[in-house]
Amino acid sequence: MNKTQPSVRHHLNRPGLICSVALVLLAACGGTSSTGGGLGSGPLLVGVLAPFSGADASFGPRYLAGCYAAALSINGAGGIGGRQVSCQSFDTKGEPADAVPAANSMIAGNSNLMGVVGCTSDEASTVVPILDRSHIPMTCMTGQSEFNKTSFKYFHRLVPPDSFDAYAMIGSALFGPGHAPYTNVALVFGDDIGSQTFVGPAVAALTKLGVKIAINQAIKLGASSYRTEVAKLLLTKPDVILTETIGSAGTYMSEVKQQNGGHVIPFIGTSATIDPVWFKQVSTAIGLTDFLANYQAVDLKLTLSGSGYDEFKTQLTAADAKFSGSNALTYQGKSPTVHLYDGIIMTALAMVAAKSADPTVYNPKIFDIANGVAGATVVSTFKDGVTALNAGQSIRYVGAAGENNFNQWNNSQQGYNLVTMDKSGNEVVLGSLSESQTQQIIDAGGSA
Amino acid sequence: MELYVAALGFGLISVSVIAIAAVGFTMQFGITNMINLAYGEVMIVCAYVAFYVNRAGVNVWAAMIAAALAGAVLSFLLNRFLYAPFQRKGTNLIGMVIISLAASLILANILLPIVGYDTSSYQVDQGPLLRWNGLVLTTAQIAIIVVAVLLMLAIHGLLRYTRLGKAMRATAANPILARNCGIPTQRVIDMVWLLTGALCGVAGVVAGMNSENFAVASGAAYLITIIAAAVLGGAGQPYGAMIGALIIGIVTELSAAAIAPEYKEVVAFTILVLVMVLRPQGLLAKRGALAAAG
Repeated sequence: MNKTQPSVRHHLNRPGLICSVALVLLAACGGTSSTGGGLGSGPLLVGVLAPFSGADASFGPRYLAGCYAAALSINGAGGIGGRQVSCQSFDTKGEPADAVPAANSMIAGNSNLMGVVGCTSDEASTVVPILDRSHIPMTCMTGQSEFNKTSFKYFHRLVPPDSFDAYAMIGSALFGPGHAPYTNVALVFGDDIGSQTFVGPAVAALTKLGVKIAINQAIKLGASSYRTEVAKLLLTKPDVILTETIGSAGTYMSEVKQQNGGHVIPFIGTSATIDPVWFKQVSTAIGLTDFLANYQAVDLKLTLSGSGYDEFKTQLTAADAKFSGSNALTYQGKSPTVHLYDGIIMTALAMVAAKSADPTVYNPKIFDIANGVAGATVVSTFKDGVTALNAGQSIRYVGAAGENNFNQWNNSQQGYNLVTMDKSGNEVVLGSLSESQTQQIIDAGGSA
Repeated sequence: MELYVAALGFGLISVSVIAIAAVGFTMQFGITNMINLAYGEVMIVCAYVAFYVNRAGVNVWAAMIAAALAGAVLSFLLNRFLYAPFQRKGTNLIGMVIISLAASLILANILLPIVGYDTSSYQVDQGPLLRWNGLVLTTAQIAIIVVAVLLMLAIHGLLRYTRLGKAMRATAANPILARNCGIPTQRVIDMVWLLTGALCGVAGVVAGMNSENFAVASGAAYLITIIAAAVLGGAGQPYGAMIGALIIGIVTELSAAAIAPEYKEVVAFTILVLVMVLRPQGLLAKRGALAAAG
């Protein structure tokens, strides 16, 4: 140890000392500050950690669209204490093995990360612990039940678990509009983690409710054909197919139509199927008329009105120019886009409320901003929220998707609509499940 | 029983698609000593070429010719400007595999901003249905089988009965000796890339037709099955690739009928592993058209 001291002294000669001081000053002036008190300076980043390639490649762009809109809304109101927000995609490829390096490089390469959105069921199990360890607040789209009662403090979820999606699909099959209750139900889901999350709860609820399960198929997503699987399905004569086969539904359903004498069996999709890419793929494969006549889905109850939604729509329109590939506006009524937009706005407001860019300080504030405290002023935009906070008021954010109500595990949900799509792929609400109907199915399937 | 008959019939379509692709892939390896992992992406590029031609109002079967041309040109260029320079420098086989993997990623990422994340599908007149004992095939699917059979016969004819085929076999067996005997091996290798590239292009289109839709990500999925068929039959052996395609195509469909669909690839790849254990050189090694004598 002693031997090294002269060497250190040697390096701290006069020119070296001047350089060191200059470097410290430069770092203080030009760098970003994100710890300790105060909102710091320099740009902030929201990481969109999601599949942008692979079978679930359609997920990433709709999350990115929400992020772009949120960043524009925040920046248009002066930023977070003057700090501008931008969005960057980090591709998990929908695979846990690819998601880990994506998450690690995102964290390592961006000290100005204010939050992360995305983290779907494909990769949440692997990336949520990493983000939580790094104290990065996240708003995730995972539906896995393991997050129903999670100990991860930085985890937030504005959508219900997939098991509830499965229950809503059963509700649609039993109580949905335009058809008699279906009695012989086929389950066709991808063999990936995300899709299989639906199957256990669906089987449990259907069995308990005495509804016959015609067949339960886990199909290999991305396979070139499913002809034998479809032949096997048709032998069981199902009257409805419950499905989430992202990326492969076009192939599967067209083979159903082909082998079933040109007749499509009614099919009910998860909320993830309400997607322009999915719509285009399946409607092209089976024909638009058959699609419109046979497709229904379940979706989260979204308000899609009010000043919060208007602000979201305005900013999404403005974001459209920087959105390559699909049109960002096609996501204006989509739950993931709207919910993740709200998640980012709440995180930004939490930073302003905490007057800190330190996530250990502002993370708990996200809960308060969402649920509100007694006497809180209701705000619907980032701008209004900042104004109220600067006036010394406490706020409750009721955003583009409506009210949020986090439970003690940072899970928030708003119930389900029964929906379909019109000929342009726009979502059309057909009805909703009543509380008693929903409860009947949850009781049958279990809520854990 | 009806289900197994149907599975067998459906398997024939899969066999056809895999065979067209696997024969091209294995010939590239057999003659040029190149394991081209960009093969799947070249298939997808060609599938998109046909897609845009088809969308312009051209029949998909005619668009297939455009895809074959695109595949031939792209594969030729890949070899001339990427693979061949590295091979000339003496890059080893593993190094070449990594280079082809890089080429695959580059192609996929160039393609993605052009075609987007969406899946695409051809406008195909499927024609009347053929029904037999639970088996339902469209006329277009039968046409895919016919195209595959014709191409396999053409490959057989090329390798057995033409000067070019004999030159290919000689180059595959011993390129130095072939060159010393006056065979223009460089021109032969160029022809191999053009021909196998054309096969790759046709394979991309029939794979897209078979799946009803395809996306940039489909290339990687196709490649796994193609490599499996090629290795099962004996790497570098076109006839072996045909047999490999037959086994994998039929076994996957029959296992989907007999067990559960999620295990169909498990069964196919278990057979592949068993064959590799019992006969590491593959089913037809040293017996096919491209193998060295003996």
